[in-house]
Amino acid sequence: MRRRLWTSLIGVVLIVIATLAYNVATDNTPILGLDLQGGVSVILAPVEPATAEDLVVIRDLSRDELERRGIAEPDVRVQGDTIVVDLPGVRDQEDALSAVDVSGVVELRPVVNFSDCPAPEANAPGLGLGDDSGDLAPATSVEPQGFGRPATPADTVPGDAVPDATAPDGTVPGDSVPPVVVDEPVPTPITATGNELLPTRDGSVLCVGPAQGTGEVFERGSAQATLDQGWGVAVDLRGDGQATWNNLANQCYNTTPTCPSTQPGLRGQLAIVLDDVIQSAPQVNQPNFTDSVAITGSFTESEARSLAAVLNRGAFPVAVEAQEARTVSASAGSDSLQAAIVAGLVGMALVVVFLIAYYRWLALVILGGLMVWAGMVFTMASFVSGWTNYALSLAGVTGIIVAIGVTVDSYVVFFERIKDELRNGRTIKNAAPRSFKMTWRTIWSADVVSLIGAFILFWLSVGSVRGFALYLGLTTICDLLVCYFFTRPAVLLLAQTKLMARQDKVLGMNVATT
Amino acid sequence: MTLDTTISSSGIGRLFRGQTAIDFYGKRRVGLYTAIVVLVVTIISLFAQGLNLGLDFEGGDAWDIPASETFGVDEAAEVLSANGVSTAGARIQLRSSENADVVTVQVEVLPREQAAQITVDFAEAAGVSTEDISFSFTSSTWGREITEKAVRALVIFLAIVMVFISLRFEWRMAISAIAAMVNDVVAAVGVYSVFQFEVTPATVIAFLTILGYSLYDTIVVFDRVKENEGKYAGKRMPYEDIVNISMNQVMMRSLITSFSSIIPVVSLLILGSGIMGAVALREFALALLIGMISGVYSSIFIATPLLAFLKRDTGRKTYRERLLGDELRGEVMGAGVTGRGLGDGKLVTTVDPDGERDEDRELVESSVAQPADRLLTHPPRPRKKKRR
Repeated sequence: MRRRLWTSLIGVVLIVIATLAYNVATDNTPILGLDLQGGVSVILAPVEPATAEDLVVIRDLSRDELERRGIAEPDVRVQGDTIVVDLPGVRDQEDALSAVDVSGVVELRPVVNFSDCPAPEANAPGLGLGDDSGDLAPATSVEPQGFGRPATPADTVPGDAVPDATAPDGTVPGDSVPPVVVDEPVPTPITATGNELLPTRDGSVLCVGPAQGTGEVFERGSAQATLDQGWGVAVDLRGDGQATWNNLANQCYNTTPTCPSTQPGLRGQLAIVLDDVIQSAPQVNQPNFTDSVAITGSFTESEARSLAAVLNRGAFPVAVEAQEARTVSASAGSDSLQAAIVAGLVGMALVVVFLIAYYRWLALVILGGLMVWAGMVFTMASFVSGWTNYALSLAGVTGIIVAIGVTVDSYVVFFERIKDELRNGRTIKNAAPRSFKMTWRTIWSADVVSLIGAFILFWLSVGSVRGFALYLGLTTICDLLVCYFFTRPAVLLLAQTKLMARQDKVLGMNVATT
Repeated sequence: MTLDTTISSSGIGRLFRGQTAIDFYGKRRVGLYTAIVVLVVTIISLFAQGLNLGLDFEGGDAWDIPASETFGVDEAAEVLSANGVSTAGARIQLRSSENADVVTVQVEVLPREQAAQITVDFAEAAGVSTEDISFSFTSSTWGREITEKAVRALVIFLAIVMVFISLRFEWRMAISAIAAMVNDVVAAVGVYSVFQFEVTPATVIAFLTILGYSLYDTIVVFDRVKENEGKYAGKRMPYEDIVNISMNQVMMRSLITSFSSIIPVVSLLILGSGIMGAVALREFALALLIGMISGVYSSIFIATPLLAFLKRDTGRKTYRERLLGDELRGEVMGAGVTGRGLGDGKLVTTVDPDGERDEDRELVESSVAQPADRLLTHPPRPRKKKRR
């Protein structure tokens, strides 16, 4: 038993010291928020005149898109007739520009025959248009099982509406299709009719006709991935977008020349294009849609989710482009972080002095525990902010300072319980394990509530609320870990020493001993 | 080993020795009335003047001023102060690119004349003409969507916490804990509304922190109530008594914890924002301070009396008055130990005059039953026979 306690005690201290040393050595510190450290600011301007409401919509969509890409807590606002995006934790202006590159409007373009597209230019090998790709691309991008599948109504399709389109796109590409580097600007030959060769996400190429609609036909934010005999995407149509969509759907269903059947036995395909990359080219299985569209096929979960995200984001009313990136200084004033840290440390020192006065020698456990806790929080914060890009803002720093109180509470509950037991005549050797058992139950219950809060807020909310949840969760987990792996062995081992037999010195209480 | 059962004569002495016998349940109306007052004041204030929402919620005015060696963030702040605009709610940043550096100043929406005057002053301070300064309206960064998502998350969180507390403890405790938490958040919001402090995203975070802290504190208290409930299960002890006993037992813990939680916040308030002048910390720390004080108060004076009130008709019918004074004290001291309660609620106590250990302690102790006898009210269990 003693050996186990020692193992736990020494183990946790060594782990914390080791990870802390690793962090210090690699200069791995938590990313600091805009208010503490500043960041990079990018100005987005609409390419054509936009109304104030359009700008607000773009602001919200940009923030969503940034958060979806893992850039946490961006500060996005409309200033004048531009949109200013401030990014924390980004030091390089080029990085910021590419991160904020959320411009682009989703277009709906019918898929046409390759013969209607101009021959690819000779210097476009990256396009994957070898001599054989002309007939390969459609063959591999249309998955037979996607076509032959029974119709699967998606959740959001109301009543009797039949599933409508299959997505042949979300499938594993054939081996023989050379990959296409899609994020490089590809010279795209355009004919007089507006037909264009565009790459798909899985690397093949399709010839598409001119855009006949934009992502605005879809209800803003309504697209979601659905799971019903396989992953799909359901999206609602806007009242005024329905006509546009049905017009297109009609053409493709009836395989008119503008949206011909590119393969025998198949209906026309409708390509969803973002930034000149075909996101999906579902076959249209019915001429008329009411209220909603379901896209089904052999998607993986992530493909379905990313298509849903594209459809949601496609509701940008106006395309915007990044104009300029600037580094931006801390908004809360450079002295705020320093003041918070100094005040926090002084506060912590005062707490320790107070606890030593009250608990005497036993307070050394608190001192050690707080140091282990602080090291652990710092380490975890460094790693987590490196992985998730969550910056530590002023609110986060003060939140951690508040967490000191909650952490100290685990000791106080424990020690007060020990005192109770001593007053009732137990020896400290006997009282300590019993007290810990009861204390652990209390701490566990109370901390689980905090953890539930942290998880749910992190999962469901956005922006700084999410950052708060992250740090709440971190400090709570550290509290539990320190309580079990440090405080417990430390106190139980101390309780067996001779020092602890002199309780008046150790606990600062007037219990007479014989 | 003997036990010091001397009851200290001073209140503080009793507190430190866990000998308090405060009738918390008897004072339940105090908690109720303060909660009602807080609620009414907050509601009236919210309707009358609402909250002073900051830049991030409502948008404001923004200036872009060319920066130079003689004009930077500090100089911009001085111009604002000279025009009587608080810099606490303003956001002043230096934005630099290869082409030019600008100081961006964002403040809450100002009257047109004042804004024009500030533009002129900025131009003067920066040594440029007013045409070089761009003045525009800046939107909120905290969109409605963020609020909606946060509120939705919060509602789900509270629902799950209700379920958790109901499973771990019981549903009456869940209701009481949530009620106390609502009181704390209302108190903090009320202070912000009454004094018209500016609400920033950091303030919202502070409110969330208060919410979590309040629930945490209440659950620690309820855990002891639950434990004592089990301890007195066979004794038809009225619930008010159990609540009183538990509250007296955890009171020292509550005080120490609150004290150690509040010290760092006070340090932020006095040292950080007062002496070191980081104004950004001030209102945040203030919100936390109010919420924490309220959190401790509500877990004692709102959550537990409410719990006792909800539990009053649940099969623990009793025909005697609740324990008070020394009887309560006896239970408080006896039941702190794991395992068993004291039982009869009677303890022979003697008060020593100065709260110190006396020379005549032997005399005192002789009049008190031995602790072992006191605790072991039933005969010891026969020793188990060892297995062969």
